[in-house]
Amino acid sequence: MVNKLDKIKGKIKVGKPKISLGRLPYYFKIWVFMSKNSFLMVLTRKKLFFMFLLGKILKFIFFGLFLYFIVTGSGELAGYSVEQIIFFFLTFNIVDVFGQFFYREVYRFRPILISGEFDLVLTKPMSSLFRILMGGSDVIDLVTIPLLLAAVIFVGSSFNPDPLQIILYILLIINAMIIATAFHIAVASLAIITLEIDHSIMIYRDILDLGKLPVDIYKEPLRSILTFVLPVGIMITLPGRVLMGLASPAGIIASFVVAAIVIFVAFKLWNIALKYYTSASS
Amino acid sequence: MSKYLTIFKVSLAQEFAYKTNFIMWRVRNVLQVFLIFFLWDAVFSEPGTTLFGYDRTSILTYVFGLLIVRGLVLSVKSYEVAGDIGRGDLSNYLTKPLSYFKYWLTRDISSKTLNVVFAIGETIFLYLILKPPFYLQTNPVLLVSFLVTLIIAMLIYFILIFILGSISFWAPELAWGVGWLFITIIIQFMSGAMFPLDVFPQAIQDILRLTPFPYLIFFPIQVYLGQISISVIIKGILVSGIWLVVLWFIFNSVWKRGLRVYQSHGK
Repeated sequence: MVNKLDKIKGKIKVGKPKISLGRLPYYFKIWVFMSKNSFLMVLTRKKLFFMFLLGKILKFIFFGLFLYFIVTGSGELAGYSVEQIIFFFLTFNIVDVFGQFFYREVYRFRPILISGEFDLVLTKPMSSLFRILMGGSDVIDLVTIPLLLAAVIFVGSSFNPDPLQIILYILLIINAMIIATAFHIAVASLAIITLEIDHSIMIYRDILDLGKLPVDIYKEPLRSILTFVLPVGIMITLPGRVLMGLASPAGIIASFVVAAIVIFVAFKLWNIALKYYTSASS
Repeated sequence: MSKYLTIFKVSLAQEFAYKTNFIMWRVRNVLQVFLIFFLWDAVFSEPGTTLFGYDRTSILTYVFGLLIVRGLVLSVKSYEVAGDIGRGDLSNYLTKPLSYFKYWLTRDISSKTLNVVFAIGETIFLYLILKPPFYLQTNPVLLVSFLVTLIIAMLIYFILIFILGSISFWAPELAWGVGWLFITIIIQFMSGAMFPLDVFPQAIQDILRLTPFPYLIFFPIQVYLGQISISVIIKGILVSGIWLVVLWFIFNSVWKRGLRVYQSHGK
């Protein structure tokens, strides 16, 4: 029996990512399909949907007001004006909300894992990682994203950025999303190894929260940790500084290199983690 | 009494059964302090700065006080009440020779004990690495008042959680969302658990003072810091005491009505 199982396991190419440029339309179609299902499920519980939407908006308003009152009260914060601090806060929200919009399914990975349902994911003709990351977008963020983008454009335009700064800002936000993807892959990988996900994803959120403010306010060695080890500075402070015309070209290039390294390491970690999957309880 | 002592011990043991969960939760608390600490550290970087009625020492003591006071007031297990009602598990407790209310109060005390022990350890650890100025209150009147405000705060929060959980009697699918909205968003911000409420304009502060939320975190720390006069402390204790009584009556009424409609779904 054991030998038979080993033979079957040997034949199944478990969870090998098959995401290539040529297959992007295929995956886009699946994503639209899964997102539609996710939205329909949320819309069946409208009251709950409005409650979470209200919660997200209140959280944003409360912290935004707090920052506004604090910086206007003190005149400036670490050399930044109130508009600049608010812009960093908005940039943080863009990265955070897009991360939740695309990768909400990671938050639901544990039940799939401990119930053994992950077996079914592994046998489907698509990348298991794609399914775990993007299997259910968060419909609430469809409401908050346009509002946030409008706020970013409104506050960002007060710095009178030139087209190059705007393009670099967008590229760095995409870069930040690549790093966010790496974090989510790492969390999902750790979930396979430790079966723990709720707190590790929230720790990622707490670390990202440190980016609500420019990393300049933190003292060494925390500032370096937030720049190079847990690259919150690259994800949030750098795009903000680019739009304000305060970033150096070397920093921008380094940020793309860091993103390439962390996403590479995250994929490796995922492949290692899959080998620890025991299919228990299935 | 001995049965509640046993519940206390079992609850404490349960916390240790999920060590990773508990450690991660504490790590999160420390991370949250980092953001607030460095924010205020940057605001008060110039020597002699005074803002919103705080100097560097008092504001950083506020931040460190948050770790302990949050551990004491906001660490609860009774948020599971909503789930108990929704799943019909409440029936298990109603048939047992114990008070459901006292059962959760005991479990909350166990959770608070553990969280405060860890919070004290974390405070010492953070104090050693961040070396902030810290205000040690020595006035016995203020220390006793601080203790009184903490007890009232813990009881207010406990009853609030029970009232929120009672929603499950009528709308079990909504209880979780309502709980999240109040516990994670409204109480966190309006209680001063994120930042002192003095940063808001006076008009907003006056409105907030009419609610029970500032008496959970903000008011006890204010008392510890000696930021307010004795007459304001007495007034605050009276108002929070009134809130405690009002909430207790609301809870009793809601709970009784809830039990009348309770159908033990899922059992």
